[in-house]
Amino acid sequence: MAESQQIKEFKPIIITPPHGIEFPDFKEVWEHRDLLIFLVRRELKSRFQQTVIGVLWIALQPIIQMLIFYLVLGILVKVPTDNVPYPVFFLSGFIVWQFFSQIVNASAFSMLSNIGIIVKSYFPRLVLPLAVTISSIVDFLVSFVIILVLMAMNGLPITTRFLLLPVLLILTMLFASGVGLLFGALMVSFRDVKNFLGFILMIWMYITPIMYPMSLIPEQYRVYARLNPLTSLVETYRWVFLGTGSLPPWSNFLISFIVALLIWLIGAIYFRNMENMIADVM
Amino acid sequence: MARLSIKAENVSKKYYIKHHMGSQAGSSLKEALNQPIAGLLRSINPNHNHYENPDTFWALSNICFEVEHGESVGLIGRNGAGKSTLLKILSRITRPTEGRIIIYERINSLLEIGTGFNMDLSGRDNIYLNGSFLGMKRVEIDRKFDEIVDFSGIETFIETPVKYYSSGMFVRLAFSVAVHLTPEILLLDEVLAVGDAEFKQKSLNKMKELLGSGATIILVSHSESSIKEICNRVIWLSNGQIEMDGPSKLVVDKYIQSIHQSE
Repeated sequence: MAESQQIKEFKPIIITPPHGIEFPDFKEVWEHRDLLIFLVRRELKSRFQQTVIGVLWIALQPIIQMLIFYLVLGILVKVPTDNVPYPVFFLSGFIVWQFFSQIVNASAFSMLSNIGIIVKSYFPRLVLPLAVTISSIVDFLVSFVIILVLMAMNGLPITTRFLLLPVLLILTMLFASGVGLLFGALMVSFRDVKNFLGFILMIWMYITPIMYPMSLIPEQYRVYARLNPLTSLVETYRWVFLGTGSLPPWSNFLISFIVALLIWLIGAIYFRNMENMIADVM
Repeated sequence: MARLSIKAENVSKKYYIKHHMGSQAGSSLKEALNQPIAGLLRSINPNHNHYENPDTFWALSNICFEVEHGESVGLIGRNGAGKSTLLKILSRITRPTEGRIIIYERINSLLEIGTGFNMDLSGRDNIYLNGSFLGMKRVEIDRKFDEIVDFSGIETFIETPVKYYSSGMFVRLAFSVAVHLTPEILLLDEVLAVGDAEFKQKSLNKMKELLGSGATIILVSHSESSIKEICNRVIWLSNGQIEMDGPSKLVVDKYIQSIHQSE
């Protein structure tokens, strides 16, 4: 019988004090994949409970943001947008930002918002931020449909450039998840981070060329704008959607992946070590 | 010698108490939680074994015990004696400060029934969610699903969101998931205190059934009668140390005696 075999193979668990830097046990996370799936389903189900309203809520956020910025920056200030109608221009950057900031925010708060379960049962805590990261794909898809509609309304075609989208999405998720893990771990030791995160994300949004094009930044400051990993990411998404700018060389993608992976690993290790503390601190 | 189930070697757990708002932001709530326990500990025993400074206290110190397969061990002691801390370490919710524990069998802990229930989801979804939080695999839950629903007696409401359940229905469903776990070691914390008399009896019976099937049980309870009924051995904790470890009746009687003496 499968079950008795499982029991025979049981490897003794050794519980010891936390000792030095511990690495996340990815094998254990994999063994808890069922829990991960149920958590993703919980996340989505409770959000889409009243199906129509649920989708509408998710769609409303980017649409209202777009209308506000269209009114202020597009019509009043008349920000130049490389000859692309402002609503499409804005949205092609904003949905990336929304995807990114949602993952960062939800991952960072995932331990705090599940503290009730954390102090009552054992499971690798990493499944919590992973579950919210995965479920945010659905929100991105909703925004994606909106931009497709908007593109069609403005006569912008879907091109072969769209083939790059999965690569960009994976890169965005990896980076966002890493940043989220870092903040999530910070939050366990410094409660104030909870209040700062909103500000940090707001500032980050304004310094990323989302509501304005890169060309608006004076030449000599663009180097600094490039230090923000989201800048290139947003620009590349815009290349996919609108055909503005150019495709960065492949070597840049490789570097971005390596950097994002490093950030993620550092985030995951930090998160793992805060995990030991959370039940005592909260 | 019988097969070992759990082995604890010199397990100690230290908690920090912050008196000032420090840079550690978690401190304020922690202080609120730990202060009364620490205060109590110090008033009971000023020469506490590990006593260092007022900012730390040892919830457990030098705990050693072995549990054999099939044993059922009760943990008793006053509030703040370290019972829950020990159970939390055994459940791997928190880590010890010193020492080592080896667990030789598949373990499940039940520190609260209904862990991870989501009010917006249906009974069916919650069975899966709760089961997976308790460490069950999806196939395992699939296999036992009908049994779980039967035991809970809420077939007709299984697709209804849990928020519309009465508290009795909720407890029955949560308990039903819990007792269908197939651990070799089961850690229980005061779960018997939930529900009415009939429900208590039902859970006692279920636990005896589990014991009959060879499970190892560790039970924390303030109910001396249920401890006597279920456990063949009792560990009495006092100020984070083992005061006595032996046959249930002997230890429980001594414990009750000590309470009366101090009164």
